[in-house]
Amino acid sequence: MTASADRPLLEVSGLTKDYPAPRGPLSVLSGVDLSLSLGDAVSIMGPSGGGKSTLLYVLGALEPPTSGSVRLEGRSPFDLNERALAAFRNQEIGFVFQDHHLLPQCSVLENVLTPTLVAPVGDDYEARANRLLEQVGLTARVEHRPAELSGGEKQRVAVARALIRGPKLLLCDEPTGNLDPRSAESVASLLLELQAREKRILIVVTHSAELASRFPLRLRLVEGKLKPA
Amino acid sequence: MEKSGLLTRSLVYYWRTHLAVVWGVATAVAVLAGALLVGESVRASLRDLFLGRLGNTDYVVSSVGFFREELADDLERHEDFHTFFQEASPLVALQGLVVHEASGRRSSRVHVYGVDDRFWAFHRVNASSATSFGGPSGREVFLTESLARELGSEEEDSILLRVEQPYDVPGEFLHGRREGQGRTIRLTAREGLAESGINEFALYPQQGPVHAVFVPLERLQRDLDQEGRVNTVLVSGSNHAGESNGVDVLAKVLQESFQLEDLGLKLRALEDSHSLSLESEQILVSDRLASAAERAAGGLGLGTSLIYTYLANTMRSGSAETPYSLVAALDADGFHTLQGAQERLPLPDGSTERPMVLNDWTAEDLGVRLGDPVTIEYFMWEDEGRLETRSATFQVTGIVPIEGAAGDPNLAPAYPGITDSDALSDWDPPFPIDLDRVRPKDEDYWNLYGATPKAFIPLAVGQELWRSRYGALTAIRILPDGGALRSILDSFRHGLRETLDPTEAGFSIDPVRAQGMEASQGATDFGEYFVYFSFFLVASALLLTGLFFRLGVEQRLTEIGIFYAMGFPARTIRRLFLNEGLVLALIGSVVGLAGAVAYAELIMFGLRTWWVDAVGTRLLTVHVSPTSLFLGGGGGVLAAAGGIAWTLRDVRPMTPRSLLSGASLPTGGRRGLLGARLFGAGTALAAFVLLIGAWLGGLSQVTGFFGAGTLLLLASLSGVWTRLAGGNRGLLTGRGAWAVSRLGFRSVTYRPGRSLLCISLIAFATFVVVAVDAFRRDDRETSLDPKSGTGGYSLLAESLLPLLWDPNSPDGKAALGIDHQEALDGVRFASFRVRRGEDASCLNLYRPQNPRIMAPTESFVESGRFGFTATLAETPQEVANPWLLLDREEPDGAIPVIGDANSMTYVLHLGLGEDLDLPRGGEGALRLRLVGMLRDSVFQGELLMSERNFLRAFPQQEGFRLFLLEAPIDASDGVAELLEQRLDDYGFDVVDTAERLAGFHRVENTYLSTFQTLGGLGLMLGTLGLAAVLLRNVLERRRELALLRAVGYDSRDFSLMVLAENAVLLFWGLASGTLCALVAIVPALASRGGGAAAFSLPSLGLLLLAVLASGVLASLLAVAASVRAPLLQALRAE
Repeated sequence: MTASADRPLLEVSGLTKDYPAPRGPLSVLSGVDLSLSLGDAVSIMGPSGGGKSTLLYVLGALEPPTSGSVRLEGRSPFDLNERALAAFRNQEIGFVFQDHHLLPQCSVLENVLTPTLVAPVGDDYEARANRLLEQVGLTARVEHRPAELSGGEKQRVAVARALIRGPKLLLCDEPTGNLDPRSAESVASLLLELQAREKRILIVVTHSAELASRFPLRLRLVEGKLKPA
Repeated sequence: MEKSGLLTRSLVYYWRTHLAVVWGVATAVAVLAGALLVGESVRASLRDLFLGRLGNTDYVVSSVGFFREELADDLERHEDFHTFFQEASPLVALQGLVVHEASGRRSSRVHVYGVDDRFWAFHRVNASSATSFGGPSGREVFLTESLARELGSEEEDSILLRVEQPYDVPGEFLHGRREGQGRTIRLTAREGLAESGINEFALYPQQGPVHAVFVPLERLQRDLDQEGRVNTVLVSGSNHAGESNGVDVLAKVLQESFQLEDLGLKLRALEDSHSLSLESEQILVSDRLASAAERAAGGLGLGTSLIYTYLANTMRSGSAETPYSLVAALDADGFHTLQGAQERLPLPDGSTERPMVLNDWTAEDLGVRLGDPVTIEYFMWEDEGRLETRSATFQVTGIVPIEGAAGDPNLAPAYPGITDSDALSDWDPPFPIDLDRVRPKDEDYWNLYGATPKAFIPLAVGQELWRSRYGALTAIRILPDGGALRSILDSFRHGLRETLDPTEAGFSIDPVRAQGMEASQGATDFGEYFVYFSFFLVASALLLTGLFFRLGVEQRLTEIGIFYAMGFPARTIRRLFLNEGLVLALIGSVVGLAGAVAYAELIMFGLRTWWVDAVGTRLLTVHVSPTSLFLGGGGGVLAAAGGIAWTLRDVRPMTPRSLLSGASLPTGGRRGLLGARLFGAGTALAAFVLLIGAWLGGLSQVTGFFGAGTLLLLASLSGVWTRLAGGNRGLLTGRGAWAVSRLGFRSVTYRPGRSLLCISLIAFATFVVVAVDAFRRDDRETSLDPKSGTGGYSLLAESLLPLLWDPNSPDGKAALGIDHQEALDGVRFASFRVRRGEDASCLNLYRPQNPRIMAPTESFVESGRFGFTATLAETPQEVANPWLLLDREEPDGAIPVIGDANSMTYVLHLGLGEDLDLPRGGEGALRLRLVGMLRDSVFQGELLMSERNFLRAFPQQEGFRLFLLEAPIDASDGVAELLEQRLDDYGFDVVDTAERLAGFHRVENTYLSTFQTLGGLGLMLGTLGLAAVLLRNVLERRRELALLRAVGYDSRDFSLMVLAENAVLLFWGLASGTLCALVAIVPALASRGGGAAAFSLPSLGLLLLAVLASGVLASLLAVAASVRAPLLQALRAE
């Protein structure tokens, strides 16, 4: 599947993923092909248990594929050693999960800064974090703890955290799945707004047709393969 | 924000879980450091106790006999003295028996000190007090507080003190006194010792109260006929540093200060024979002294002549007899000089008769001529304690007139009761004499010639007939060629002093302060013991630490997942959590150190009260040692950190996805199950093999059954794991309480690792606590088995004064006043010689430097009694009777000894075949070699050597002081009472051998009780961990519990489920541990007749009840949490 005519940043070819099961391997991805360039925003829908999250985890180098390849800027993250892989994830990939997974012991600002703790010394991360929080509308809540925020606010913090290192690939797994409609709308708009502002590859896995419809490129994962929606 | 900021945030936010981790570490550190503090405290207490009682004493100079009081001043006047030492103070130090006259209460083995003002000044009494302290004077006596308390004595009460009368002549030489060995002195008790600051003075370490009396020196000297003489000098060092060469310097000072009379030597000039005579107050001159005299004489160009004069009861030829004649044995020169030009008859070739020269008076009295035989009869005192008459026949080879060398009454030593008598009929020697045999002509001879010998024989023959362990000469003549006798005497005296070493002639120098400090290290390392005893407490605490930390990690698995997603390397994530754990461990350690002091206080309180039988003193206090705290704290931190790091290993195999999705820590999977099954089968098989091996006798019972029990425990825990983690379970159906309970039983499989941890802890602790009961000693009755620990003897007696007579012989019984006693019919004594020393049994906390040595008689050795655990026996005879090893001649001269296995292992730390160097106070150490170890015997306080070796090594030790008695069990009380009455003057104490053994067993049993108590505490701590496990399970399963509530389960059902879950964990733990422990102790149970009586049921039962109670408490906590938790909220989104 190819998105824009620009040179692809993300190239996925023949991706398969099997999980071992008592009665033989369970095939979740059966040959996924995908090519995306900077600025592409893709929504992926599919039936529950169909492998959407699995695809996202493989693309985010959180799990290796059974076969096939994933390349970002020509580099396959699965060729890297553990340390380099971690650094790759830290630099190039941002994750937003259905459950925000904020650190309850840290403030909003600290949660956003968490990925910078293992980043190389250089940028003024604190200033960038404050700018991101401004962009997500949480300037007034920087010192608050996650327990003091609403679901939507927590998810916006998660988005800011995902973007602190300026990744080229932003992966969102059901980012609005746990939110009420108003919050969900707010977060969805935020994602697209930020995508418009800073060119990156945005891939969102969702079961919300309404959210999916807002994306220029819509795909479905059916029987382990990606097809246009 | 830095990583340290994240660390701080996490520490604060998860404070509840962290508090539990800190508490676990604090408990482990408190117990570990506390146990080490206990060890240090016992050592320090023993040291303080000893030093407080020693006063200013650093060295003790003592002698087997008495010496001049002025020797102390002579030492101080020596030019080298004040370089290393400060003062010397003379005193008399003895052991005695003290009786409170009014009540009849008595105390034996009391330290008796004859002291004067110098003693109090030596210990700085009056140095800082405003009022003058006055020591006892006249007939006053100070008693130590503990002695006064025991006797019920108050000021002005009459006190009888009985001590051994010191005689110069040894009691085991024919001419030594064997009756009236004790002297009783009547004194009046006076209070005031406490004012002196030396409430309890003791030269050698002992943990129990000191029983001592202080008597005016002059009074004691007078009553013991030792005016101006003492037997001990205390020496203080310049800085109490205990310099290692202090003994050498003091030995040199002593060498250059002593006089001959300090060694009991007499040197006199004999004008008539123009010679000097060197003699001993002991009568016999030792071989060592003789060779020193010969060397000294040779150095001055003087000749010597050796003499041994002995008393013959009868000289007989045919029907003629001459009673009570002195016979002089002269060396070759002396004998041939005596014969001189007199007619003599050469001995025919092949004659076995010995030559004898008679004076003409005797020859005429016996009617003999040259060549006639003459037989002499004489007494010998046998070492077994009896007088024996012997005889020897000679051939008259010379008859000389009573003049010159043959008319010298100085050839006879000063035999008490003989040579100091005016008439023969006044003789009063310490052996039977029939004065009716004395004829008028005998009196005439005595009047004319006194103690002039009537016969002369060669010295070699005399020494062969009359040799004693004390020596084989009565005098050494120094023969100058000419010159003034007085000046020769002075020169020889000086030369002899330079040649003699007083430390080889009865003196000893002991660095008592240094020795006591060494002994204060203790025979038993209490620190080590209490670390072992507290093992389960520490293990429980550490396991709980790991458990709580693991619970905390499980709580934050998604946090770990997000760290991965954010690009944190695995190592960084691990380090974050490990650092958290380390900080918690450090905080726990600091808290624990405060708890360590409290734990040590509790243990020391226990040692002073409940467990006082193990230590025998209430004078132990806590001493806080930085080293112990550091080691305990460090050890606790390391152990906790290790446990925490181990927990984090389980996180490694989890993928970021499983972490983010809220999966649990892995439990091992099917591969873990297979391994567990194999392990279980393997250990069960090994257990079976061990049981068979023990049954067939290929293995010792203890090894076989205990090993099997341990392996079975491991096998049963493997089985438990298989059951918990395995997938196949029966269908859960039914209704009512039982069905709900089964749901609770199923819950233990929710977190199988957690459940196994709790079950294992309970099982191991139960196993150990039950199994150690097997080692408890049983003292229900006296055993008459000759191979038992009593040797088949029913009574053991100790005597303050030595018994010189054999109490088994008619003469001995008569001499001791125990003849014609029906109660003693059939009672046999086994007598032992004793060299006083330190108790080497478990009753002595101090490490013995100089253990007591005992020697049995030959008849005891031949009887082959008592059982042995190990020996160096090689020949069939030695295997059959290992006591024979005592007679073995070691090539390097080491003396073989036998000791009790318990004492050798736990007190002296001596293994079979190993050597112990016994110090002899300046003389070279005596090397002893352990050749056999007795099994749990009454000899736990001493080492035993052969009588022959004993008499050779310690010739000055006289008589027998310890006895084992064969008496019928039902008559033993009567026998004991009779002997204590009849032999009261000897300070005779009789106890049941079973009671003696029980005293040792009480110590061991107390250690076991301590172990069981602390082990039980550990067990209870472990069951409290159940609360954490159950609570955690409830919290994690609140969604499921919420669902159950939604479908109709109520609080009662939840309570039942939690209680059932807990019951399963407790039951499996207690059952596995108890059943496997019972397998382990089958031999011990069988030896006690089996059944419930074989156990100390009350204490064990109480312990297990306490465990059950704490387990139920844990359940109730979890029940309360499950009932109160807002479960329905868990059904909602997050």
